[in-house]
Amino acid sequence: MDPSAIVASSLNKTFNTKTGLWKTKTKSTIAVEDISFNIERGELFGLLGPNGAGKTTTVKMLTTLLLPTGGTAKILGLDVVRQTAEVRRHIGFAFSGSRGLYNRLTAIQNLKYFAELYALDPAITRKRIPELLELVGLSQRGDDRVETYSSGMVQRLHLARALLHDPEVLFLDEPTVGIDPVGARELRQTIKNLISLGKTILLTTHYMAEAEELCHRIAIINKGRIVALDSPDALKRRISGDSVIEATIQTAQAHILMDRLRILDGKTVVELKNSTEPEKLCIRTPEPARVLELLSPYLNPQYIQGLEVRNQTLEDVYITIIQGEKE
Amino acid sequence: MSRLRWGLIKRQMVVQLQVATLNLYSLGLFVIQPAVFIAVGMLLSHAAGNAMPDLVYSVVGGGIMGMWSGLVFSSTYDIAGDRYNGMLELIVGSPTSLATVEAIRTLTNVLSGLFSLSLAFITSLAIFGYSLHGVNFWGAGISLLLLLFAMWCMGVFLANFIAWSRISTWFVDYLEMPIAFLCGFMYPIRVLPGWLQILSGAIPIRWALQAMNESLLGNRDLTFLATHWAIAIGISLIFLAITRWLQVKVHDSIRLSGELSSI
Repeated sequence: MDPSAIVASSLNKTFNTKTGLWKTKTKSTIAVEDISFNIERGELFGLLGPNGAGKTTTVKMLTTLLLPTGGTAKILGLDVVRQTAEVRRHIGFAFSGSRGLYNRLTAIQNLKYFAELYALDPAITRKRIPELLELVGLSQRGDDRVETYSSGMVQRLHLARALLHDPEVLFLDEPTVGIDPVGARELRQTIKNLISLGKTILLTTHYMAEAEELCHRIAIINKGRIVALDSPDALKRRISGDSVIEATIQTAQAHILMDRLRILDGKTVVELKNSTEPEKLCIRTPEPARVLELLSPYLNPQYIQGLEVRNQTLEDVYITIIQGEKE
Repeated sequence: MSRLRWGLIKRQMVVQLQVATLNLYSLGLFVIQPAVFIAVGMLLSHAAGNAMPDLVYSVVGGGIMGMWSGLVFSSTYDIAGDRYNGMLELIVGSPTSLATVEAIRTLTNVLSGLFSLSLAFITSLAIFGYSLHGVNFWGAGISLLLLLFAMWCMGVFLANFIAWSRISTWFVDYLEMPIAFLCGFMYPIRVLPGWLQILSGAIPIRWALQAMNESLLGNRDLTFLATHWAIAIGISLIFLAITRWLQVKVHDSIRLSGELSSI
Protein backbone atom coordinates (compact mmCIF):
# COMPACT_ATOMS: atom_id res chain seq x y z
CA MET A 1 0.00 0.00 0.00
CA ASP A 2 1.28 3.44 -0.95
CA PRO A 3 2.08 5.25 2.32
CA SER A 4 1.15 8.58 0.75
CA ALA A 5 -2.46 9.68 1.03
CA ILE A 6 -1.97 12.86 -0.98
CA VAL A 7 0.76 13.53 -3.54
CA ALA A 8 0.94 16.88 -5.29
CA SER A 9 3.61 17.19 -7.99
CA SER A 10 4.38 20.56 -9.58
CA LEU A 11 0.76 21.69 -9.36
CA ASN A 12 -0.06 24.86 -11.25
CA LYS A 13 -3.23 26.86 -11.61
CA THR A 14 -3.65 29.91 -13.79
CA PHE A 15 -6.99 31.66 -14.12
CA ASN A 16 -7.75 33.40 -17.39
CA THR A 17 -10.32 36.16 -17.30
CA LYS A 18 -11.65 37.87 -20.37
CA THR A 19 -12.70 41.50 -20.47
CA GLY A 20 -14.44 43.49 -23.19
CA LEU A 21 -17.37 42.57 -25.39
CA TRP A 22 -15.97 42.79 -28.90
CA LYS A 23 -12.23 43.19 -28.52
CA THR A 24 -11.65 40.77 -25.70
CA LYS A 25 -8.51 40.91 -23.62
CA THR A 26 -7.38 37.92 -21.61
CA LYS A 27 -5.78 38.49 -18.25
CA SER A 28 -3.92 35.60 -16.67
CA THR A 29 -3.54 35.29 -12.92
CA ILE A 30 -1.21 32.68 -11.49
CA ALA A 31 -2.90 31.36 -8.35
CA VAL A 32 -0.67 28.34 -7.68
CA GLU A 33 2.81 27.79 -9.05
CA ASP A 34 4.79 24.58 -8.94
CA ILE A 35 3.48 23.23 -5.66
CA SER A 36 4.71 19.79 -4.56
CA PHE A 37 4.19 17.87 -1.32
CA ASN A 38 3.41 14.41 0.02
CA ILE A 39 1.04 13.76 2.89
CA GLU A 40 1.28 10.39 4.57
CA ARG A 41 -1.73 8.36 5.65
CA GLY A 42 -2.89 9.40 9.12
CA GLU A 43 -1.01 12.70 8.95
CA LEU A 44 -2.49 16.10 9.74
CA PHE A 45 -0.90 18.51 7.30
CA GLY A 46 -1.34 22.25 7.60
CA LEU A 47 -1.35 24.76 4.78
CA LEU A 48 -0.67 28.28 6.05
CA GLY A 49 -0.51 31.50 4.16
CA PRO A 50 -1.91 35.00 3.82
CA ASN A 51 -5.17 35.74 2.01
CA GLY A 52 -4.86 35.06 -1.71
CA ALA A 53 -1.75 32.91 -1.26
CA GLY A 54 -3.30 29.95 -3.10
CA LYS A 55 -4.36 27.72 -0.19
CA THR A 56 -8.00 27.32 -1.20
CA THR A 57 -7.08 26.94 -4.88
CA THR A 58 -4.72 24.12 -3.92
CA VAL A 59 -7.42 22.43 -1.84
CA LYS A 60 -9.95 22.81 -4.65
CA MET A 61 -7.61 21.16 -7.14
CA LEU A 62 -7.04 18.27 -4.74
CA THR A 63 -10.78 17.90 -4.18
CA THR A 64 -11.47 17.79 -7.96
CA LEU A 65 -13.38 21.10 -7.89
CA LEU A 66 -10.77 22.84 -10.03
CA LEU A 67 -8.72 21.43 -12.87
CA PRO A 68 -4.99 22.13 -12.58
CA THR A 69 -3.36 23.87 -15.53
CA GLY A 70 -0.19 21.90 -14.90
CA GLY A 71 1.26 19.15 -12.75
CA THR A 72 -0.44 16.15 -11.21
CA ALA A 73 -2.07 15.23 -7.94
CA LYS A 74 -3.06 11.88 -6.52
CA ILE A 75 -5.31 11.01 -3.62
CA LEU A 76 -4.81 7.46 -2.30
CA GLY A 77 -3.09 6.70 -5.59
CA LEU A 78 -6.01 8.01 -7.67
CA ASP A 79 -5.41 10.79 -10.17
CA VAL A 80 -7.61 13.83 -9.43
CA VAL A 81 -8.06 14.63 -13.13
CA ARG A 82 -8.46 11.21 -14.71
CA GLN A 83 -10.15 9.34 -11.83
CA THR A 84 -12.40 12.12 -10.58
CA ALA A 85 -15.39 10.00 -9.62
CA GLU A 86 -13.25 7.53 -7.65
CA VAL A 87 -11.43 10.32 -5.82
CA ARG A 88 -14.75 11.91 -4.79
CA ARG A 89 -15.87 8.71 -3.07
CA HIS A 90 -12.80 8.70 -0.82
CA ILE A 91 -12.57 12.34 0.21
CA GLY A 92 -14.58 14.72 2.34
CA PHE A 93 -14.22 18.47 2.35
CA ALA A 94 -15.56 21.41 4.30
CA PHE A 95 -15.07 25.05 3.45
CA SER A 96 -15.43 27.89 5.90
CA GLY A 97 -18.40 30.23 6.03
CA SER A 98 -22.14 29.94 6.01
CA ARG A 99 -22.36 28.79 2.38
CA GLY A 100 -22.81 25.14 1.47
CA LEU A 101 -26.04 24.20 3.18
CA TYR A 102 -29.73 24.66 2.44
CA ASN A 103 -30.75 27.16 5.11
CA ARG A 104 -34.46 26.38 4.81
CA LEU A 105 -33.82 22.75 5.68
CA THR A 106 -32.95 21.29 9.07
CA ALA A 107 -29.52 19.84 9.80
CA ILE A 108 -30.93 16.32 9.50
CA GLN A 109 -32.62 17.09 6.17
CA ASN A 110 -29.36 18.54 4.83
CA LEU A 111 -27.40 15.49 5.95
CA LYS A 112 -29.99 13.11 4.46
CA TYR A 113 -29.68 14.94 1.16
CA PHE A 114 -25.90 14.62 1.12
CA ALA A 115 -26.20 10.97 2.17
CA GLU A 116 -28.14 10.37 -1.05
CA LEU A 117 -25.59 12.32 -3.11
CA TYR A 118 -22.93 10.02 -1.68
CA ALA A 119 -25.16 6.97 -2.32
CA LEU A 120 -25.10 5.82 1.29
CA ASP A 121 -27.16 2.82 2.26
CA PRO A 122 -30.31 4.05 4.11
CA ALA A 123 -29.49 1.85 7.13
CA ILE A 124 -26.01 3.41 7.36
CA THR A 125 -27.50 6.90 6.96
CA ARG A 126 -29.92 6.30 9.84
CA LYS A 127 -27.00 5.23 12.04
CA ARG A 128 -24.43 7.82 10.90
CA ILE A 129 -26.49 11.01 11.16
CA PRO A 130 -27.18 10.82 14.94
CA GLU A 131 -23.57 9.73 15.54
CA LEU A 132 -22.18 12.67 13.61
CA LEU A 133 -24.54 15.19 15.18
CA GLU A 134 -23.36 13.86 18.54
CA LEU A 135 -19.73 14.14 17.45
CA VAL A 136 -20.10 17.80 16.48
CA GLY A 137 -22.36 18.66 19.41
CA LEU A 138 -25.55 19.33 17.45
CA SER A 139 -27.71 16.44 18.69
CA GLN A 140 -30.20 18.77 20.35
CA ARG A 141 -30.55 21.00 17.27
CA GLY A 142 -30.75 18.43 14.49
CA ASP A 143 -34.40 19.20 13.75
CA ASP A 144 -33.90 22.96 13.64
CA ARG A 145 -33.55 24.84 10.38
CA VAL A 146 -29.97 25.77 9.52
CA GLU A 147 -31.03 29.44 9.18
CA THR A 148 -31.42 29.50 12.98
CA TYR A 149 -27.84 28.32 13.57
CA SER A 150 -24.90 30.41 14.75
CA SER A 151 -21.82 30.49 12.49
CA GLY A 152 -20.07 28.06 14.82
CA MET A 153 -22.92 25.59 14.57
CA VAL A 154 -22.92 25.93 10.78
CA GLN A 155 -19.19 25.21 10.76
CA ARG A 156 -19.69 22.09 12.87
CA LEU A 157 -22.49 20.96 10.57
CA HIS A 158 -20.10 21.38 7.62
CA LEU A 159 -17.73 18.99 9.37
CA ALA A 160 -20.53 16.47 9.98
CA ARG A 161 -21.47 16.67 6.31
CA ALA A 162 -17.88 16.13 5.23
CA LEU A 163 -17.66 13.03 7.45
CA LEU A 164 -20.98 11.54 6.39
CA HIS A 165 -19.55 8.94 4.02
CA ASP A 166 -16.64 8.16 6.36
CA PRO A 167 -13.93 9.43 3.97
CA GLU A 168 -10.32 8.38 4.42
CA VAL A 169 -9.00 11.81 3.47
CA LEU A 170 -10.44 15.05 4.77
CA PHE A 171 -9.86 18.62 3.55
CA LEU A 172 -10.75 21.34 6.05
CA ASP A 173 -10.48 24.89 4.76
CA GLU A 174 -10.26 27.29 7.71
CA PRO A 175 -12.69 25.26 9.82
CA THR A 176 -12.56 27.47 12.91
CA VAL A 177 -13.10 30.84 11.22
CA GLY A 178 -15.90 32.73 12.92
CA ILE A 179 -16.21 30.31 15.82
CA ASP A 180 -15.96 31.47 19.42
CA PRO A 181 -12.91 30.25 21.42
CA VAL A 182 -14.82 27.49 23.21
CA GLY A 183 -16.36 26.23 19.98
CA ALA A 184 -12.98 26.39 18.23
CA ARG A 185 -11.37 24.37 21.01
CA GLU A 186 -14.11 21.74 20.74
CA LEU A 187 -13.65 21.59 16.98
CA ARG A 188 -9.90 21.18 17.37
CA GLN A 189 -10.54 18.31 19.76
CA THR A 190 -12.85 16.73 17.18
CA ILE A 191 -10.09 17.07 14.56
CA LYS A 192 -7.62 15.39 16.94
CA ASN A 193 -10.12 12.56 17.47
CA LEU A 194 -10.38 12.11 13.71
CA ILE A 195 -6.62 11.75 13.44
CA SER A 196 -6.67 9.12 16.18
CA LEU A 197 -9.21 7.27 14.01
CA GLY A 198 -6.63 7.13 11.21
CA LYS A 199 -7.99 9.87 8.94
CA THR A 200 -5.62 11.92 6.82
CA ILE A 201 -6.37 15.62 7.09
CA LEU A 202 -5.24 18.61 5.10
CA LEU A 203 -6.07 21.74 7.06
CA THR A 204 -5.77 25.34 5.99
CA THR A 205 -5.85 27.98 8.67
CA HIS A 206 -4.88 31.52 9.54
CA TYR A 207 -4.49 30.65 13.20
CA MET A 208 -0.88 29.79 13.98
CA ALA A 209 -1.65 28.43 17.45
CA GLU A 210 -4.16 26.09 15.88
CA ALA A 211 -1.65 24.88 13.31
CA GLU A 212 1.02 24.47 16.00
CA GLU A 213 -1.35 22.50 18.21
CA LEU A 214 -2.75 20.22 15.51
CA CYS A 215 -0.42 19.77 12.58
CA HIS A 216 2.30 17.16 12.18
CA ARG A 217 3.78 19.14 9.31
CA ILE A 218 3.12 22.57 7.89
CA ALA A 219 3.62 24.12 4.49
CA ILE A 220 3.74 27.90 4.35
CA ILE A 221 2.45 29.14 1.04
CA ASN A 222 2.86 32.64 -0.33
CA LYS A 223 2.03 34.06 -3.75
CA GLY A 224 1.14 30.60 -5.00
CA ARG A 225 4.42 28.94 -3.99
CA ILE A 226 5.47 26.86 -1.00
CA VAL A 227 8.12 28.86 0.83
CA ALA A 228 8.65 26.53 3.79
CA LEU A 229 7.62 22.96 4.63
CA ASP A 230 8.48 21.15 7.83
CA SER A 231 7.23 20.13 11.27
CA PRO A 232 6.27 23.04 13.56
CA ASP A 233 9.33 22.40 15.76
CA ALA A 234 11.69 22.27 12.78
CA LEU A 235 10.20 25.46 11.39
CA LYS A 236 10.74 27.18 14.72
CA ARG A 237 14.34 25.97 14.75
CA ARG A 238 14.87 27.74 11.43
CA ILE A 239 15.23 30.95 13.36
CA SER A 240 16.43 29.10 16.42
CA GLY A 241 18.34 30.80 19.19
CA ASP A 242 16.25 33.88 18.70
CA SER A 243 14.14 35.13 21.55
CA VAL A 244 11.27 37.50 21.29
CA ILE A 245 11.06 40.49 23.62
CA GLU A 246 7.80 42.37 23.57
CA ALA A 247 7.82 45.74 25.30
CA THR A 248 4.59 47.64 25.92
CA ILE A 249 5.62 51.27 25.47
CA GLN A 250 4.43 54.85 25.67
CA THR A 251 3.71 55.88 22.08
CA ALA A 252 5.51 59.22 22.37
CA GLN A 253 8.76 57.54 23.42
CA ALA A 254 8.89 54.91 20.69
CA HIS A 255 11.54 56.70 18.64
CA ILE A 256 13.87 57.03 21.65
CA LEU A 257 13.71 53.31 22.33
CA MET A 258 14.17 52.42 18.68
CA ASP A 259 17.22 54.74 18.45
CA ARG A 260 18.67 53.05 21.52
CA LEU A 261 18.35 49.62 19.92
CA ARG A 262 19.82 50.73 16.60
CA ILE A 263 23.33 49.97 17.82
CA LEU A 264 22.56 46.23 17.75
CA ASP A 265 23.81 44.22 14.78
CA GLY A 266 21.63 43.16 11.84
CA LYS A 267 20.61 39.86 13.48
CA THR A 268 18.20 41.68 15.76
CA VAL A 269 14.90 42.73 14.20
CA VAL A 270 12.98 45.56 15.85
CA GLU A 271 9.39 46.05 14.83
CA LEU A 272 6.94 48.65 16.11
CA LYS A 273 3.44 47.16 16.35
CA ASN A 274 1.40 50.32 16.20
CA SER A 275 -1.78 48.44 15.39
CA THR A 276 -2.04 47.45 19.05
CA GLU A 277 -3.17 49.74 21.85
CA PRO A 278 -0.93 50.50 23.71
CA GLU A 279 1.86 50.18 21.14
CA LYS A 280 4.36 47.36 21.38
CA LEU A 281 7.97 47.00 20.36
CA CYS A 282 8.64 43.48 19.13
CA ILE A 283 12.32 42.59 19.19
CA ARG A 284 13.55 39.29 17.73
CA THR A 285 17.13 38.78 18.84
CA PRO A 286 19.83 36.18 19.42
CA GLU A 287 21.12 38.43 22.26
CA PRO A 288 18.23 38.94 24.71
CA ALA A 289 20.57 39.83 27.58
CA ARG A 290 22.14 42.64 25.55
CA VAL A 291 18.72 43.99 24.56
CA LEU A 292 17.52 43.93 28.18
CA GLU A 293 20.70 45.74 29.21
CA LEU A 294 20.07 48.46 26.64
CA LEU A 295 16.46 48.83 27.71
CA SER A 296 17.07 48.70 31.48
CA PRO A 297 17.43 52.52 31.92
CA TYR A 298 13.97 52.88 30.44
CA LEU A 299 12.21 50.35 32.62
CA ASN A 300 9.79 52.83 34.12
CA PRO A 301 6.16 53.63 33.21
CA GLN A 302 7.22 56.80 31.39
CA TYR A 303 8.86 54.65 28.68
CA ILE A 304 8.15 50.97 29.15
CA GLN A 305 4.99 49.78 30.85
CA GLY A 306 5.58 46.07 30.52
CA LEU A 307 8.14 43.59 29.21
CA GLU A 308 7.82 39.98 28.16
CA VAL A 309 10.59 37.64 27.02
CA ARG A 310 9.53 34.46 25.27
CA ASN A 311 10.69 31.86 22.79
CA GLN A 312 9.79 31.97 19.11
CA THR A 313 6.28 30.82 18.25
CA LEU A 314 5.09 29.53 14.92
CA GLU A 315 3.53 32.92 14.35
CA ASP A 316 6.97 34.55 14.64
CA VAL A 317 8.34 32.06 12.13
CA TYR A 318 5.41 32.69 9.80
CA ILE A 319 5.79 36.46 9.99
CA THR A 320 9.54 36.25 9.47
CA ILE A 321 9.12 34.04 6.40
CA ILE A 322 6.26 36.01 4.85
CA GLN A 323 7.96 39.36 5.53
CA GLY A 324 11.21 37.98 4.14
CA GLU A 325 9.29 37.11 0.96
CA LYS A 326 7.93 40.66 0.75
CA GLU A 327 11.43 42.11 0.99
CA MET B 1 -24.41 10.26 -15.73
CA SER B 2 -24.19 8.45 -12.42
CA ARG B 3 -26.74 5.75 -11.69
CA LEU B 4 -30.24 6.97 -10.92
CA ARG B 5 -31.50 5.56 -7.63
CA TRP B 6 -35.02 5.83 -6.26
CA GLY B 7 -33.69 7.13 -2.92
CA LEU B 8 -31.83 9.94 -4.69
CA ILE B 9 -34.82 10.80 -6.91
CA LYS B 10 -37.16 10.95 -3.90
CA ARG B 11 -34.77 12.99 -1.73
CA GLN B 12 -33.85 15.40 -4.53
CA MET B 13 -37.53 15.98 -5.32
CA VAL B 14 -38.38 16.60 -1.66
CA VAL B 15 -35.45 19.02 -1.28
CA GLN B 16 -36.44 20.75 -4.49
CA LEU B 17 -40.00 21.25 -3.25
CA GLN B 18 -38.87 22.40 0.20
CA VAL B 19 -36.15 24.75 -0.98
CA ALA B 20 -37.36 26.08 -4.30
CA THR B 21 -41.00 25.34 -5.01
CA LEU B 22 -43.10 25.79 -1.88
CA ASN B 23 -42.81 29.54 -1.46
CA LEU B 24 -44.62 32.74 -2.42
CA TYR B 25 -42.45 33.25 -5.49
CA SER B 26 -43.65 29.94 -6.91
CA LEU B 27 -47.25 30.88 -6.13
CA GLY B 28 -46.77 33.82 -8.48
CA LEU B 29 -45.04 31.66 -11.04
CA PHE B 30 -47.51 28.80 -11.13
CA VAL B 31 -50.80 30.56 -10.29
CA ILE B 32 -50.74 34.36 -10.75
CA GLN B 33 -48.67 34.49 -13.93
CA PRO B 34 -50.82 31.90 -15.80
CA ALA B 35 -53.93 33.73 -14.60
CA VAL B 36 -52.59 36.93 -16.17
CA PHE B 37 -51.87 35.12 -19.45
CA ILE B 38 -55.34 33.58 -19.43
CA ALA B 39 -56.90 37.02 -18.89
CA VAL B 40 -54.85 38.48 -21.77
CA GLY B 41 -55.86 35.58 -24.01
CA MET B 42 -59.53 36.06 -23.19
CA LEU B 43 -59.36 39.83 -23.78
CA LEU B 44 -57.58 39.44 -27.14
CA SER B 45 -60.14 36.88 -28.22
CA HIS B 46 -62.94 39.22 -27.16
CA ALA B 47 -61.28 42.15 -28.96
CA ALA B 48 -61.05 40.01 -32.11
CA GLY B 49 -64.84 39.81 -32.05
CA ASN B 50 -65.21 36.23 -30.92
CA ALA B 51 -68.40 35.72 -28.95
CA MET B 52 -66.89 32.69 -27.28
CA PRO B 53 -63.10 32.51 -26.87
CA ASP B 54 -61.16 29.47 -27.92
CA LEU B 55 -60.65 27.91 -24.51
CA VAL B 56 -57.94 25.49 -25.63
CA TYR B 57 -55.62 28.31 -26.67
CA SER B 58 -56.75 31.07 -24.32
CA VAL B 59 -57.18 29.17 -21.07
CA VAL B 60 -55.24 25.91 -21.35
CA GLY B 61 -52.57 27.86 -23.27
CA GLY B 62 -52.23 30.16 -20.24
CA GLY B 63 -51.58 27.09 -18.12
CA ILE B 64 -48.93 25.86 -20.56
CA MET B 65 -47.36 29.32 -20.42
CA GLY B 66 -47.23 29.10 -16.63
CA MET B 67 -45.72 25.64 -16.84
CA TRP B 68 -43.00 26.80 -19.25
CA SER B 69 -42.21 29.96 -17.27
CA GLY B 70 -42.05 27.90 -14.10
CA LEU B 71 -39.64 25.48 -15.71
CA VAL B 72 -37.35 28.19 -17.11
CA PHE B 73 -37.32 30.37 -14.00
CA SER B 74 -37.01 27.48 -11.56
CA SER B 75 -34.20 25.87 -13.53
CA THR B 76 -32.42 29.20 -13.84
CA TYR B 77 -32.68 30.20 -10.23
CA ASP B 78 -32.03 26.73 -8.81
CA ILE B 79 -28.55 26.63 -10.29
CA ALA B 80 -27.87 30.34 -9.78
CA GLY B 81 -29.02 29.93 -6.16
CA ASP B 82 -26.84 26.89 -5.66
CA ARG B 83 -23.86 28.74 -7.09
CA TYR B 84 -24.55 31.67 -4.75
CA ASN B 85 -24.93 29.59 -1.60
CA GLY B 86 -22.02 27.27 -2.33
CA MET B 87 -24.13 24.17 -2.97
CA LEU B 88 -23.12 23.85 -6.62
CA GLU B 89 -19.54 23.16 -5.57
CA LEU B 90 -20.61 20.51 -3.07
CA ILE B 91 -22.91 18.79 -5.57
CA VAL B 92 -20.23 18.72 -8.25
CA GLY B 93 -17.72 17.45 -5.67
CA SER B 94 -19.94 14.52 -4.73
CA PRO B 95 -19.96 11.15 -6.51
CA THR B 96 -23.39 11.98 -7.98
CA SER B 97 -23.03 13.92 -11.20
CA LEU B 98 -24.48 17.39 -11.60
CA ALA B 99 -26.26 16.03 -14.69
CA THR B 100 -28.16 13.52 -12.54
CA VAL B 101 -29.14 16.19 -10.03
CA GLU B 102 -30.28 18.51 -12.83
CA ALA B 103 -32.29 15.73 -14.47
CA ILE B 104 -34.26 15.11 -11.25
CA ARG B 105 -34.68 18.79 -10.51
CA THR B 106 -35.99 19.52 -13.97
CA LEU B 107 -38.42 16.62 -13.66
CA THR B 108 -39.65 18.09 -10.36
CA ASN B 109 -40.06 21.50 -11.99
CA VAL B 110 -41.95 20.03 -14.95
CA LEU B 111 -44.27 18.09 -12.64
CA SER B 112 -44.75 21.21 -10.48
CA GLY B 113 -45.73 23.01 -13.66
CA LEU B 114 -48.50 20.47 -14.15
CA PHE B 115 -50.22 22.26 -11.28
CA SER B 116 -50.51 25.35 -13.51
CA LEU B 117 -51.88 23.33 -16.36
CA SER B 118 -54.37 21.49 -14.14
CA LEU B 119 -55.54 24.75 -12.61
CA ALA B 120 -56.01 26.29 -16.05
CA PHE B 121 -57.88 23.24 -17.27
CA ILE B 122 -60.18 23.21 -14.24
CA THR B 123 -60.74 26.96 -14.73
CA SER B 124 -61.76 26.40 -18.33
CA LEU B 125 -64.21 23.69 -17.24
CA ALA B 126 -65.65 25.29 -14.11
CA ILE B 127 -65.67 29.00 -14.97
CA PHE B 128 -65.80 29.21 -18.75
CA GLY B 129 -67.94 26.16 -19.39
CA TYR B 130 -65.51 24.32 -21.63
CA SER B 131 -67.15 21.05 -22.64
CA LEU B 132 -65.22 17.79 -22.76
CA HIS B 133 -67.66 16.56 -25.35
CA GLY B 134 -65.78 15.33 -28.41
CA VAL B 135 -62.33 15.51 -26.79
CA ASN B 136 -59.87 12.83 -27.93
CA PHE B 137 -58.86 11.74 -24.43
CA TRP B 138 -56.25 9.13 -25.35
CA GLY B 139 -54.71 11.45 -27.91
CA ALA B 140 -54.57 14.29 -25.38
CA GLY B 141 -53.17 11.98 -22.69
CA ILE B 142 -50.34 10.62 -24.83
CA SER B 143 -49.59 14.12 -26.13
CA LEU B 144 -49.46 15.48 -22.57
CA LEU B 145 -46.92 12.83 -21.58
CA LEU B 146 -44.81 13.71 -24.60
CA LEU B 147 -45.20 17.42 -23.83
CA LEU B 148 -43.81 16.77 -20.34
CA PHE B 149 -40.96 14.76 -21.84
CA ALA B 150 -40.18 17.49 -24.39
CA MET B 151 -40.22 20.18 -21.69
CA TRP B 152 -37.94 18.05 -19.51
CA CYS B 153 -35.49 17.64 -22.43
CA MET B 154 -35.48 21.40 -23.04
CA GLY B 155 -35.07 22.02 -19.31
CA VAL B 156 -31.98 19.82 -18.93
CA PHE B 157 -30.59 21.30 -22.15
CA LEU B 158 -30.93 24.88 -20.87
CA ALA B 159 -29.64 23.94 -17.39
CA ASN B 160 -26.22 23.28 -18.93
CA PHE B 161 -25.82 26.88 -19.95
CA ILE B 162 -26.72 28.15 -16.49
CA ALA B 163 -24.23 25.81 -14.86
CA TRP B 164 -21.61 26.87 -17.40
CA SER B 165 -21.51 30.55 -16.45
CA ARG B 166 -23.36 33.20 -14.52
CA ILE B 167 -23.79 35.36 -17.60
CA SER B 168 -25.59 32.65 -19.56
CA THR B 169 -28.40 32.79 -16.96
CA TRP B 170 -29.53 35.97 -18.71
CA PHE B 171 -29.40 34.22 -22.06
CA VAL B 172 -31.70 31.46 -20.79
CA ASP B 173 -34.10 34.02 -19.30
CA TYR B 174 -34.26 35.79 -22.66
CA LEU B 175 -35.16 32.51 -24.37
CA GLU B 176 -38.33 32.05 -22.34
CA MET B 177 -40.62 34.28 -24.40
CA PRO B 178 -39.23 33.54 -27.89
CA ILE B 179 -39.67 29.79 -27.32
CA ALA B 180 -43.21 30.35 -25.99
CA PHE B 181 -43.88 32.49 -29.06
CA LEU B 182 -42.50 29.89 -31.48
CA CYS B 183 -44.29 26.95 -29.89
CA GLY B 184 -47.75 28.54 -30.17
CA PHE B 185 -48.73 28.22 -26.54
CA MET B 186 -51.69 30.55 -26.93
CA TYR B 187 -52.51 30.36 -30.65
CA PRO B 188 -52.45 27.76 -33.43
CA ILE B 189 -49.00 27.39 -34.97
CA ARG B 190 -50.50 27.96 -38.45
CA VAL B 191 -50.96 31.69 -37.72
CA LEU B 192 -47.17 32.15 -37.64
CA PRO B 193 -45.37 33.26 -40.84
CA GLY B 194 -44.01 30.32 -42.82
CA TRP B 195 -40.36 30.82 -41.90
CA LEU B 196 -41.21 31.01 -38.21
CA GLN B 197 -43.19 27.78 -38.53
CA ILE B 198 -40.04 26.14 -39.94
CA LEU B 199 -37.99 27.58 -37.07
CA SER B 200 -40.49 26.36 -34.51
CA GLY B 201 -40.14 22.86 -35.98
CA ALA B 202 -36.79 22.54 -34.21
CA ILE B 203 -38.45 22.72 -30.80
CA PRO B 204 -39.92 19.42 -29.59
CA ILE B 205 -42.47 21.14 -27.34
CA ARG B 206 -44.17 22.57 -30.41
CA TRP B 207 -44.98 19.12 -31.87
CA ALA B 208 -46.26 17.59 -28.64
CA LEU B 209 -48.31 20.68 -27.83
CA GLN B 210 -49.83 20.83 -31.30
CA ALA B 211 -50.90 17.19 -30.95
CA MET B 212 -52.38 17.90 -27.53
CA ASN B 213 -54.29 20.98 -28.65
CA GLU B 214 -55.65 19.16 -31.69
CA SER B 215 -56.72 16.24 -29.46
CA LEU B 216 -58.49 18.63 -27.10
CA LEU B 217 -60.28 20.06 -30.13
CA GLY B 218 -61.41 16.55 -31.08
CA ASN B 219 -58.87 15.55 -33.76
CA ARG B 220 -58.76 11.72 -33.98
CA ASP B 221 -56.56 11.47 -37.08
CA LEU B 222 -54.04 8.86 -35.94
CA THR B 223 -51.61 9.62 -38.78
CA PHE B 224 -51.55 13.30 -37.85
CA LEU B 225 -51.10 12.58 -34.16
CA ALA B 226 -48.54 9.76 -34.58
CA THR B 227 -46.45 11.93 -36.91
CA HIS B 228 -46.41 14.74 -34.36
CA TRP B 229 -45.54 12.35 -31.54
CA ALA B 230 -42.73 10.74 -33.52
CA ILE B 231 -41.25 14.14 -34.41
CA ALA B 232 -41.55 15.30 -30.78
CA ILE B 233 -39.75 12.18 -29.56
CA GLY B 234 -37.08 12.39 -32.29
CA ILE B 235 -36.21 16.04 -31.67
CA SER B 236 -36.30 15.51 -27.90
CA LEU B 237 -33.78 12.70 -28.25
CA ILE B 238 -31.54 14.91 -30.40
CA PHE B 239 -31.67 17.55 -27.64
CA LEU B 240 -30.82 14.87 -25.07
CA ALA B 241 -27.82 13.73 -27.12
CA ILE B 242 -26.56 17.33 -27.43
CA THR B 243 -27.21 17.79 -23.70
CA ARG B 244 -25.13 14.73 -22.83
CA TRP B 245 -22.24 16.05 -24.94
CA LEU B 246 -22.56 19.50 -23.37
CA GLN B 247 -22.64 18.11 -19.82
CA VAL B 248 -19.15 16.66 -20.17
CA LYS B 249 -17.87 19.93 -21.66
CA VAL B 250 -19.53 22.02 -18.94
CA HIS B 251 -18.18 19.79 -16.15
CA ASP B 252 -14.64 20.40 -17.39
CA SER B 253 -15.18 24.04 -18.29
CA ILE B 254 -16.53 25.13 -14.89
CA ARG B 255 -13.65 23.41 -13.12
CA LEU B 256 -11.15 25.10 -15.38
CA SER B 257 -12.60 28.59 -15.09
CA GLY B 258 -13.50 28.45 -11.41
CA GLU B 259 -17.12 29.34 -12.24
CA LEU B 260 -18.36 26.72 -9.76
CA SER B 261 -18.13 28.99 -6.78
CA SER B 262 -17.98 32.42 -8.42
CA ILE B 263 -20.60 34.81 -7.12
